[in-house]
Amino acid sequence: MSSHTVITVTATVVGDVYPLAAGELAHACGAEIDWVVQLVELGIVGVPEPGASPDDWRFQSADLQSALEARRLERDFGVGLDAAALILALQNEVRRLKAVLQAEGVRRS
Amino acid sequence: MDFKDYYKTLGIERTASEEDVRKAYRKLARKYHPDVSKEPDAQARMRDINEANDVLRDKEKRAAYDALADRVAQGYGAGSDGHGNYQPPPGWDQGFEFHRGPGAGPADHAEFSEFFSSVFGKGEHRGAQSRQYRARGEDHHAAIEISVEDAIKGAEREIVLRALEVDTKGQPAYVNRTLSVKIPAGVRPGQFIRLAGQGMPGHGGEAPGDLYLEVRIAQHKLYRVEGRDLYMTLPVTPTEAALGAQVQVPTPGGGVVEVTVPPNARNGLKLRLKERGLPGKPAGHLYLLLEIALPPADSEAARQAYEQLAKAAPFNPRRHLGTSGG
Repeated sequence: MSSHTVITVTATVVGDVYPLAAGELAHACGAEIDWVVQLVELGIVGVPEPGASPDDWRFQSADLQSALEARRLERDFGVGLDAAALILALQNEVRRLKAVLQAEGVRRS
Repeated sequence: MDFKDYYKTLGIERTASEEDVRKAYRKLARKYHPDVSKEPDAQARMRDINEANDVLRDKEKRAAYDALADRVAQGYGAGSDGHGNYQPPPGWDQGFEFHRGPGAGPADHAEFSEFFSSVFGKGEHRGAQSRQYRARGEDHHAAIEISVEDAIKGAEREIVLRALEVDTKGQPAYVNRTLSVKIPAGVRPGQFIRLAGQGMPGHGGEAPGDLYLEVRIAQHKLYRVEGRDLYMTLPVTPTEAALGAQVQVPTPGGGVVEVTVPPNARNGLKLRLKERGLPGKPAGHLYLLLEIALPPADSEAARQAYEQLAKAAPFNPRRHLGTSGG
């Protein structure tokens, strides 16, 4: 027994025009704002003025990506956020270098 | 869809403790993490491992999964919807809540498998509905894969969400919701499309959560996406590379542009077509990586031409090795 309905929904791309507020970023990660404050302090997510009130912070897709990955590292590997920050930085560097290699046409052996 | 043995995925017994699950997951995650793994199927394996871990690390999901596995083992609902596809047996899910169903084909590639989606949906247990507190519904995450062309021009895609709800007669029934999602032009891999109100229902009359779709770009036969930029290999003949040439190049936005290959172009030279990448502010570029393709020496005339070239333009590409030309 099933029924079917079609719903038109408003889709926005998380970015400059539709950024996420600190509370929204926290909610998307199943966390609280205090957790987002820690992410900002550790540089896992970036805001232009970390000294400003969290109410004024705005986040992009890349921040959401990093926050979700930090959440998974915390949950599945039991690492502290400071270690998660290091892991994510190393991971980003690996990806950047791989992209450079690929852009230069170097194939992985 | 096939029944998935999550214990097998993690290489553990059903009697495994929480610690065993954790250890097995961590070990496999280190082996198959796509950033470090040399295994050819690392990405797919990592997805399976994450999925198995998400179920087995959670007591409630694991209990539901075990109950389902028992029923399957006893022959209830073990197989089939008539097309060889796995269907969860009716009533097995008592005590749990399922929201998100299988994806809608190529438009919706959720992070987890169709099996996971149909069994666990949003992974929230039914008890959440009966809690006496007020809170906004949880957000949910999935992924959507689109083509390079769709990323450039924008597209409208339908995704199907399935929720198990109680109908007017008090009977549980699957309700499919088809969401028509307009993907804006210029969307990039790794960006999130947010669908307001399409997450978990709110508690105590509060608003529902949102659904976030992470954008992935499907592999393209010509173009590779890097942020806003696109990369394409442009094969040229040795003559074109040596003397320079005008060659025609297809652009992902449609149409063909004429590109000047400069004389004495080397293999791997990068040419930039400004703002021919993904649209946006700023727009990305299309990079062409020159690849010199040798004409085969498969005829007498071709062989003679190569020999004449060797005589006319003596060239030792191994000079830096300190060896003689021969």
